[in-house]
Amino acid sequence: MRRGKGLKFVGDSRVIDKETRDKIPKDYSEYPGRTEAFWPNFLLKEWLVGSVFLIGFLCLVAAAPSPLEQQADPNNAAYIPLPDWYFLFLYELLKYNYASNDYIVIGTMVIPGLAFGALLLAPFLDKGPERRLTRRPIASSLMLLAVASVIWLTYESVASTDWEARAEYSVTNEAPQLEVDTSDPGYEVYQANCLSCHGDALQGNAPVGPPLVEITYEPEAIKEIAINGIGEMPAGLFQGTDEELDLLAEFIYSTVNQGEGGASETGDDTEE
Amino acid sequence: MISKIYDWIDERLDITPMWRDIADHEVPEHVNPAHHFSAFVYCFGGLTFFVVVIQVLSGMFLTMYYVPDIENAFQSVKYLQSQVAHGQLVRGMHHWGASVVIVMIFLHTLRVFFQGAYKKPRELNWVVGVLLFFCILGLGFTGYLLPWDNKAFFATQVGLEIAESIPFIGTEIKTLLAGDPEIVGAQTLTRFFAIHVFFLPAALFVLMAIHFIMIRRQGISGPL
Amino acid sequence: MSDKKHNEVTRRQFLNYTLMGVGGFMGAAVLAPMVGFAIDPLLKGEKESDFVYIMDVDEITNEPQRKTFVIDQVDGWYESQVERTAWIYKNNNGDILALSPVCTHLGCTVDWNSNADFPNEFFCPCHFGRFDSNGVNIAGTPPTEPLHQYEYQITDGKLYLSGKSNPREEA
Repeated sequence: MRRGKGLKFVGDSRVIDKETRDKIPKDYSEYPGRTEAFWPNFLLKEWLVGSVFLIGFLCLVAAAPSPLEQQADPNNAAYIPLPDWYFLFLYELLKYNYASNDYIVIGTMVIPGLAFGALLLAPFLDKGPERRLTRRPIASSLMLLAVASVIWLTYESVASTDWEARAEYSVTNEAPQLEVDTSDPGYEVYQANCLSCHGDALQGNAPVGPPLVEITYEPEAIKEIAINGIGEMPAGLFQGTDEELDLLAEFIYSTVNQGEGGASETGDDTEE
Repeated sequence: MISKIYDWIDERLDITPMWRDIADHEVPEHVNPAHHFSAFVYCFGGLTFFVVVIQVLSGMFLTMYYVPDIENAFQSVKYLQSQVAHGQLVRGMHHWGASVVIVMIFLHTLRVFFQGAYKKPRELNWVVGVLLFFCILGLGFTGYLLPWDNKAFFATQVGLEIAESIPFIGTEIKTLLAGDPEIVGAQTLTRFFAIHVFFLPAALFVLMAIHFIMIRRQGISGPL
Repeated sequence: MSDKKHNEVTRRQFLNYTLMGVGGFMGAAVLAPMVGFAIDPLLKGEKESDFVYIMDVDEITNEPQRKTFVIDQVDGWYESQVERTAWIYKNNNGDILALSPVCTHLGCTVDWNSNADFPNEFFCPCHFGRFDSNGVNIAGTPPTEPLHQYEYQITDGKLYLSGKSNPREEA
């Protein structure tokens, strides 16, 4: 149809202009095709779809608590970053040789720039009047290729991630908070030898060091572990004198067993 | 009573044409899922808008508890989701809504693309739509940092490194985003908060208004 | 006379230009301070960093040792002590290297000898970046340059590092 200065709308279904519209009977029965009024007929259908969608969405929200990891710790050197899922394809792209190293600009700028630029300017790149997919093979095959590669890159990234290890980062695995007496002479020793892996409050530092808050070792066993290691903890991490070792073991033991009355040997943590 | 109030206002402001324009336009058969089941593809745009509304509402309420400060941000998020009534739900809606809105806008974009609905005269609306897409991605990126957990912190650091790799102006862009040439810290968080809560939503609202006005002006593209 | 008339600005045009001028002034005057406010991080110069004692020089071996040290960091209004990590060793030429573990690809953290497939290399788990025993990036892996080197001083046989690491010249 034509309007104003002869503007032609391709494949247009728009409402006929106002003069004509005013002559349409209210029930639209003379209007070609089974059109209906936006309000309330069509909107009702849209809202029905919306309601179904909302139910599904709320089920998702109720079923899957939103994840929260442990508080950001810039000193956590062992943390492996991972962006949110919709940026994974970009993140994965940067693993490839032609998109990193000397060509990193290709990975971070050129490829995303071209892709998003082409998306933005699609109407000016694909100017023909044809709307059908098959009649504009270049545009549609490029788009299919882009979509396929985004999906594939995302899949590759997801597949190469160790999700079980990542689950350990979750705040739900965070150890209970302990009161740490930082004036304890043993704390200094702890700070020098253990803090980098086991955290400033014995809470651990996933995935390098497990929390110490629930260990059940006696002081002698703690000394033994500090010197000889255990599991993945190598021997020889403790560097200090025997006296410092005593202080350390007592500090850890008393902190872990605080609140259990009498169990403490140092006796200086009777607040709780 | 209500109709009297309406008449009183209408007599002075002539508001009838405003809502009549929205309410009275006919919706063609080919987009109506009641007539053709395949017409559900036309719902993605509306659903995107619906989720954006959920995001705006839940985000507004989240700021009642959230503080953009590196000492307290994490604690406030943890508190609001574990201690506040329905906190898990409200944060969940905002968190999962962010993902769902990306899915919906992606599907909507594909629908418009594969139907060739961006052809003349609707080029500008497509451009505005893609800008909206960028806005949403920006909101996703800035919102990711706000809980200030490890995931947020390190992913943002990577994102900033990517920005830094841009030739010539990369370092400046990174500094502007992070608020400091080297540290991702207190100033980064407040910046991202401002961008996430004020700057990008403002752009989003303006672009959405333009998007919708253009749809009304041009109508929905016809069936293939 | 008629030429002159042709070049004349009509009253309406004049008012339009003036309106745009006044509007531009109002916009600029409102926004100018805000722009400065927003780009302040760019206007601030580089910060000085103090040197911190790490270890005695004669303790430095050929095998990289992981040393952590604490520096004072000022982030706007937020002052804190942060931990930095350095890999300290002597290379085959006897030069002292104090390398930052921050991967030069996208800022993840590299570790020495952590991947069994690549012994005696720094390895980054994010995108499998690798650096040889001199901290130089291995061609064909994502990183773009060698690991950064901390600024260091040696006084009386003691090694001091600052919290600042700089790119190295190609070895």
